[in-house]
Amino acid sequence: MNLTNTQFVFESKTKSILIGGMVLGALCLILTYLNDDAYHTRFWTNFLHNSVYFTGIAFTSMFFLSAQITAFAGWNSLVKRVWEAMSQFMWVGLILMAVLVAGVWGHFHHLYHWNTPGITDPANPIFDKIIAGKAGFLNAGWYTLGTLGFLAIWYFWAYNLRKASVAQDTEETASFAFYKKQRKWAASFLPLGGFLSTVFIWQSVMSIDPHWYSTMFAWYSMISMWLGSIALTVMLLIYLKSLGYLEYVTREHLHDVGKFLFGISVFWTYLWFDQFMLIWYANNGEETIYFRERMMHYPVLFWGNLLLNFVTPFLILMRNDTKRKFGTMFFVALIVFLGHWWDYFYMIKPGARIAANEAKEISEGNFGKHHKAAPMSEAAPATEAHTPAATEEHATAEHAAHDTVAHEAAPAAHETPAAPAAAAHGEAAHGEAAHATEHGATNGEERPFKAGFTLPGFLELGTLIGFLSLYLFFFFNQLTKSSLVPWKDPYLDESLHHETGALISTEVDAHHGHDDHH
Amino acid sequence: MATESKKVLYGLYNDEEDLKGAVKAAAKAHLDIMDVFTPFPVHGLDPILDLKESRLHYLGFIYGAIGATFGFMTMTWVFTRDWPIVFGGKPYWSVPAFIPITFEMTVLFAAWGMTITFYTICGMWPGVKAKSLDNRITDDKFCLAFDVTDATEGDVDKLKGFFTQSQAAEVNVKTI
Repeated sequence: MNLTNTQFVFESKTKSILIGGMVLGALCLILTYLNDDAYHTRFWTNFLHNSVYFTGIAFTSMFFLSAQITAFAGWNSLVKRVWEAMSQFMWVGLILMAVLVAGVWGHFHHLYHWNTPGITDPANPIFDKIIAGKAGFLNAGWYTLGTLGFLAIWYFWAYNLRKASVAQDTEETASFAFYKKQRKWAASFLPLGGFLSTVFIWQSVMSIDPHWYSTMFAWYSMISMWLGSIALTVMLLIYLKSLGYLEYVTREHLHDVGKFLFGISVFWTYLWFDQFMLIWYANNGEETIYFRERMMHYPVLFWGNLLLNFVTPFLILMRNDTKRKFGTMFFVALIVFLGHWWDYFYMIKPGARIAANEAKEISEGNFGKHHKAAPMSEAAPATEAHTPAATEEHATAEHAAHDTVAHEAAPAAHETPAAPAAAAHGEAAHGEAAHATEHGATNGEERPFKAGFTLPGFLELGTLIGFLSLYLFFFFNQLTKSSLVPWKDPYLDESLHHETGALISTEVDAHHGHDDHH
Repeated sequence: MATESKKVLYGLYNDEEDLKGAVKAAAKAHLDIMDVFTPFPVHGLDPILDLKESRLHYLGFIYGAIGATFGFMTMTWVFTRDWPIVFGGKPYWSVPAFIPITFEMTVLFAAWGMTITFYTICGMWPGVKAKSLDNRITDDKFCLAFDVTDATEGDVDKLKGFFTQSQAAEVNVKTI
């Protein structure tokens, strides 16, 4: 085989640019930290947001590659080394997530309301029954295992898969010996990645809204990462081609990656809609609150998410020929890449803002106090509170209050006897009810525009550039460590001759023009 | 579709690469190819045959758009005008609840519309008799066919010569 430019060279100019990007990102992080609230919520959410997104891109690159190897895919052979290099970033992700884990143990960030000391202690005024019920999973130990532990496992698999792939290059002739080895790592990674990623994302992102849960969330957010990975792949392939590498990766290969970008975008929309519609239809307070908060106070984030991640790729990539044009593909990939970054922003920021608010109220010692005032003043008729009927009523009401801790329905608690009764019964009872009203009131509160929360600001963009530079630096560095072509891959020949069979009029004319010259 | 019978001269090849070579040679010699039959889609054949991109998918989009509109409007009409029912305290006009049905109707209309259009274009009505040149073209042979209904004997000889030259495994004439 006579392929040229198969060894990537990481030029010093590119290196300098990427280091510049990292410095910019670091500066933005420092600026964010300095101009922040007492809990540095904006800084920590930005850190979490980008760490999870880029680690997720590395993870899903590995997942995608594993799925293809397991399925005996042949077309991807020439693109394989790019995904291998992309997946190695999990090692850096491990360090980034370790910072967040340290923060959970050392309490130097307040991203997670469940991590507030005393929240699971019934004697404590801030006791939260729902969080106490989830404490078996929402705790620092599980957080460490769910993020660091699982990432380490994934990285171990990614490392070994790549090792088996690079070792293949030393073979005398192409055989299935090393391919079989890769398949072992790839096939076993699928269940590992599939199941563990759910826990990873529950811990790192979903637990920001600790009262809320959605069984669709893990799927949804993992697909979001995956699209980030596919979009980045498209941009990197086009970039590498522009440098003169990967000449043999043609628009036929791009077309296939484009189909994934299109198809998985539709799948993402399906999951987005499923999660939304089921919650909207069932209208359970503790579930609905998540969307209510976002639709009411973050409408641009909410609708922009659909515009960027569904409407754009769906309408542009629906046609056959757009998936084969480098310019169009780069444009759509960029939108989708930023779109899923936006998606994570949307998942993380509103919840973290509430968590910060709660942390503030707890530290000021008036967690829920100003909300208690209203029911108390209405509690005058509580004189007969100790009659059996009232006690029973209280029990029922208290029970109702538990069910509606669920913010959405909580304002209704004012109209039921729950709040007055609870107030009359003193500490133990009103701890509960007050908490219920607290959440209701917190979530009904105005959310004035705040850059970095309502919408990504310049600092967020700078941070994104910083993390992207870090990712690319690591990626290019990994790319230099092996040939861009897996020379002894048994499917290399198939990949070199890959054709999608798409018939595009404009291309056919060009093709003919080319043929006439011979 | 033409119902008149045609006299067809066809050659069978053993390999798709042989066929591709023959089609290229025929195009170069400006021979008027009637059609090519293969047991499976052969990539790269379409441009050599100078086939135009299908326009079926434009119709697919239109059918889909009609289906989406129809599904959504029907749901709207049923639940706001014809038979309003309150489901779970939701408003009558509950857009999220209509989306699955709108989606299904889009798929249904696009799929049926394109299938019916495709069959109509190809003249494949129920009960139509298949005009097959040779049963082996659905198995392991690759066929290149010329319409020789109005051809002179000289033309036919010329085509036969072409088949010999392009190493066809078999050459036959059949009226279909």
